[in-house]
Amino acid sequence: MEELSFEESLEQLEEIVNKLESGNVPLDDAIDEFTKAMNLVKLCNAKLNNAEEAIAKIVKDNGEIVDFNVNE
Amino acid sequence: MDDEYLSVSQVNAYLKNKLKKDVNLQNIYIRGEISNYKTYPSGHSYFTLKDKDSQIPAVMFKGRKYGLKFQPEDGMNVIIKGKIEVYERDGKYQLYANSMTEDGIGDLHIAFEQLKKKLEKEGLFDETHKKEIPKYPQRIGVVTAQTGAAIKDIITTIERRYPYCKILVFSTLVQGDMAAGQIVRQIRHAQQYDIDTLIVGRGGGSIEDLWPFNEEIVAREIYACRIPVISAVGHQIDVTISDYVADKRAATPTAAAEIAVPETREVRYKISQLSQRVNKSINDKLTLNREKVENISQNQIFKNPESIYEIKEMHLDNMIGKLNLTSSNIISKNRNKLLKIESRAVLRNPEEVTKAKRETFLRNVDKLKILNPLLTLKRGYSIAKIDDKVISSAKDVKSGDELDIEFDDGTINTKVI
Repeated sequence: MEELSFEESLEQLEEIVNKLESGNVPLDDAIDEFTKAMNLVKLCNAKLNNAEEAIAKIVKDNGEIVDFNVNE
Repeated sequence: MDDEYLSVSQVNAYLKNKLKKDVNLQNIYIRGEISNYKTYPSGHSYFTLKDKDSQIPAVMFKGRKYGLKFQPEDGMNVIIKGKIEVYERDGKYQLYANSMTEDGIGDLHIAFEQLKKKLEKEGLFDETHKKEIPKYPQRIGVVTAQTGAAIKDIITTIERRYPYCKILVFSTLVQGDMAAGQIVRQIRHAQQYDIDTLIVGRGGGSIEDLWPFNEEIVAREIYACRIPVISAVGHQIDVTISDYVADKRAATPTAAAEIAVPETREVRYKISQLSQRVNKSINDKLTLNREKVENISQNQIFKNPESIYEIKEMHLDNMIGKLNLTSSNIISKNRNKLLKIESRAVLRNPEEVTKAKRETFLRNVDKLKILNPLLTLKRGYSIAKIDDKVISSAKDVKSGDELDIEFDDGTINTKVI
C-alpha cells in the first residue's frame, strides 16, 4: 500500500465500511476488504499516535521559514 | 378648593401625554457624546448624552442592545435613533435609544454596503463557489499579524485539538492603509506552499480597524485563492466583506481554528466506530454464510443420497403404472370391438345366411329364365338374322337378302323376294 494521507486512509476506511454494510460483497471479497479495513484502522491510529508536536512556523518575506513562538 | 391643585403624579402624567403626542419627539435622531455609561444587572444600559453645552439622560434597554455593532464607552460620539418621553417617577424626561451607531463612520457603512452589493451581484458570495474545508488538514496557513491575540488563539486552539497539524504563519499588518496590500500579498505567498486550509483574519477592533478586510482587493484575492479560506475577523458581531467572500466564515480566530481542525478525541472515536462496524459486518457475513452451509448440509439429499434415486424410482413407477393402465385400456377397447364383431349374425349362423342367399339366387335365375330369348323361340317365335346379326326392323331388309331364320329346334336359310 502506498503512503496514504490520514484523510485518504479514513475515507477509504469509510468506503469499505459502507461497502461491507451494504451486504452485496461476495464472501471472499468481503474478507479481503476486512483485512484492508483493519490495516487502515491500524494506519490511522498510528498516524494519530506518531504525530509530532505541532510546530508553528513563520514564513518570512524572503521565504525563510523559522520556528514561531506564540509567547514572544 | 382642593380641586384647583393638581397632584405631582397628575402633572407628570399630563406632561407625559403631551410629549407623547409630539411626533418629532417620538421619532428623533440625535447626536452626542456618551458619558456615565453603565449597564445594570437587568441588562439595561443608562448613560448621559451630551454636547459642549448641554446633556440629556438616556437609556437603552437590553432588547435594543442586540443590534449594537460596537461596545459603547464613555467619550464615544454616537448617533442615536429613539424617542423622548417623561419618566414619571422621577419627573424627568429622557432619551430612549432604539439604535445607536458610532458617529463619523457613516461613510464607511455606505462604502461597505456599496461594495457588498457590487460583489454580491458579481456572484463572489455564491455558495457554488465555496470550497469545502478539508476535514483532516496536515498544514494550516494563517495570514494575520504575528503579534496579537488572533495568532495566539489560533495556535493554541490547533495544538489543543489536533496537534498533528503544522501551522505556517504569514505575517501581515491588519489595520491601517498599508494593511490591505500586505494581506493580498501574503494570501498569494501562502499559495506557494502545500497548505490545506488558509485562515485569514485578525482580532476585534473598531470598524476602522477592521476596514482592510472590507477592501475590494482583499475580497477579490480571497475569492481567487485556490486554497480554501476561512475568514476570522474580529468578534461575533463584526461581519466584513472578507467574511462574505471566504469559503467559510468564523466568528472569531478561535472559532476559525476549531473549523480548520477536528478534535482528536472525536477522530479517535470515529476510527473506533468504523472499526467496530467493519468487525460487525464481517461477523454478520460469516454467520450468514455458516448458516447457509449448515442449511444446505441439513438437506435430505446430503443426509440420504439414496433419496435422489428414490424419487427417480418413484417417478419411474408412476410412469410404468400409467403405461400399464393405458395398454390395458387399449386391449379392452379392442376386445370390445372384437366381441361386437363376433356377435354379428353372419358369424353366429352362417347356414341361414347361405340359405337366404340361395333363395335370392334362384329367384333371380327364374327372372333370367323369363327374359331368355331361347325360351321365347319355344313359344313359337323365331329370330331373323343376316350374317349372324339380328334383324329387328323391316327397313333393314331388302329384296334379295339371304336371311337365317332361327327356330327353337333349328335354322333355315331363305331369300327375300
